[in-house]
Amino acid sequence: MTWLEYPIYVYLTSSLWIAGLLLLWIPKTYRFHLLADILVIGGIISLGYFLTALWISLERPPFRTLAETRLWYSMFLSVIGLIIYYRWKLRWMLVYTLLLSILFLFINYLNPDTFDKTLMPALQSPWFVPHVVVYIIAYALLAVSSLIGIKGLVIMRMKKQITGTINLADNIVYIGFAFLTFGLLFGALWAKEAWGNYWTWDPKETWAFLTWMVYLLYIHFRVRKRMNVNTALWVLSLSFVILLICWFGVNYLPSTQSSVHVYSS
Amino acid sequence: MHKKKTIWQFPWKYKESFTIAIALLITGFAIEYFIGKNNIWLPAWPTNLIIIVAFWAYFIFLDRYVKHSMINWLSSTYAAISAISVFTVLILLMGFIIQTDKGTPSFISRIGLTHVISSWPYLITSMYLMIILGFTITRRFFPLRIKNLAFFLNHGGLWLVIAAASLGSADSWKLSMVLNEGEQTNIAGDSRNRNLFEMPFKLELLDFDIEEFPPNLGLLSIKTGKLIIEKGDKLIEVEVGYEDKVGDWNIIVETYYPSAVVDGDKYVVSELMGSVHAVFVVAENLLSGEKRSGWVTNGSMMYSPEYLILDNDHSIVMTIPTPKKYSSQIKVFYPNGDIEDVFIEVNKPARILDWVIYQVGYDEKMGKWSKSSIIEIVRDPWLPVVYVGIFMILAGSLYLVWMGRTKN
Repeated sequence: MTWLEYPIYVYLTSSLWIAGLLLLWIPKTYRFHLLADILVIGGIISLGYFLTALWISLERPPFRTLAETRLWYSMFLSVIGLIIYYRWKLRWMLVYTLLLSILFLFINYLNPDTFDKTLMPALQSPWFVPHVVVYIIAYALLAVSSLIGIKGLVIMRMKKQITGTINLADNIVYIGFAFLTFGLLFGALWAKEAWGNYWTWDPKETWAFLTWMVYLLYIHFRVRKRMNVNTALWVLSLSFVILLICWFGVNYLPSTQSSVHVYSS
Repeated sequence: MHKKKTIWQFPWKYKESFTIAIALLITGFAIEYFIGKNNIWLPAWPTNLIIIVAFWAYFIFLDRYVKHSMINWLSSTYAAISAISVFTVLILLMGFIIQTDKGTPSFISRIGLTHVISSWPYLITSMYLMIILGFTITRRFFPLRIKNLAFFLNHGGLWLVIAAASLGSADSWKLSMVLNEGEQTNIAGDSRNRNLFEMPFKLELLDFDIEEFPPNLGLLSIKTGKLIIEKGDKLIEVEVGYEDKVGDWNIIVETYYPSAVVDGDKYVVSELMGSVHAVFVVAENLLSGEKRSGWVTNGSMMYSPEYLILDNDHSIVMTIPTPKKYSSQIKVFYPNGDIEDVFIEVNKPARILDWVIYQVGYDEKMGKWSKSSIIEIVRDPWLPVVYVGIFMILAGSLYLVWMGRTKN
């Protein structure tokens, strides 16, 4: 499997998901909804198959380049969307996460990687996969929380009841923040193993720390539930901007001349 | 009827907290500007431990025995938010500004923004954060309740990590050593100040070894200087019999020697120093049927690389192989006369007494024939404390995943 076969899986996955979402809009019929679930899960399996086959043919974990991380992001985002849909019965959440996943699949469709088996010695570590996986899960959850944040701001504008929405945001942020913490600390433990320092303020580390701090800020804004909800929602919505700078933007910042985290050529 | 409270009237909330936090940040910038940089001195053992103990005595004493609204404020969410905010703003500035001091000092470098982590504003805002975190932990400690366990794991772990990493840094050492095959040495250098130190043990490099990823072949456009490759495709693999169409050319790999030297007009298998990856390639133009063939190599410090010129714009070139792993076999001579062999590789350090040695580099000019290995040796007596802190936070985070945000 190489990136040349990727378009087939983009089309397959996206069309299964879109078909599934359309079926969900047909008024409540159990049979249609079951079919919708099957289509959505089918899309996830198709993407999962591509990832697995790519992993095998690359002979290294496909976590090195930005395009590879975007693939995992689409994967985890769709799984998390499905879980939230089942757990909290939120149909719009499934719509948002699947559409966002499709967006990321298409970004890769336009910018595929060159097939490259090499993996520098520093990345050959048992920490590599857990470090990236927990980060991607955190990013997926926090994307969801920002969507809820924006939705919350709209609800506030419309002067409607906000409690349910913000409680959901809190839950997702708590879980996402925990995964973010895992990613950060796994990275620190790995760095100690690889080059003797657990923290060096490398630009990617600086931005990862900033991402962690802004979500920490949101959590503290929400410690007392009657504190300013509006500010908290703004913090939540804007936090994702910091996260995106950390994930992609760092590669373009002037302050990132020599980062150990810029792996794509 | 209650009167609207004026600023500085207790209880302090956002206005007071942010005024104090911002004032501290500005004070930091001012001290940096007027008193200058590089004059922050972090205490070493045992002063750093005394400071940590003094901190906690201070937190506990004030929290238990001084009944003042100020103490309540120090452990309030408002103070916490103000501390997290200013610290975040400072690090945000650091995220955008290149952290090197070069050329003539500008205003930005004078107030410390080009060397944030060794600046006064960083010291002051992080102290503010540590103090508020300390009071917050102390406040929840009396009376101790099991339901606050996750709170202690997260906050206490964070305090420990920051304290051990910052106050402990004066006790940590990071030196580098260059080991040459067949030579014993105990001299290590400090990369910043170029000071040399004598280690209590001697090291001798027995063998340095590199494994490389196989190189690839590519079709180079001479006009653009770029490889011609379809997005998402792979380069030509160096495997005997491998055939691929690139541009207007069909390319076949006929022979591949991973290690060869030139002999007249051909390459022969050889393990001699300076040997190269050599590939005999046959290329056929799909439009004209023209055929070209020849040797393509990656070159080394002794031989220049060979290309196969196809026409006036195209030639076949080999990519430079990148290292897959590199490692050193080292003999250690301990002060008590013991001798031991250790093996290190990137991501696989080894322990010698209370030092940890890391494989970091080699003589890149010599590539895979390098007879020297660059290692780093690190001593960090506070590391166990940092690890305790890290594992406390990990445990606290597991609790967050498990419970989510349940209702108060």
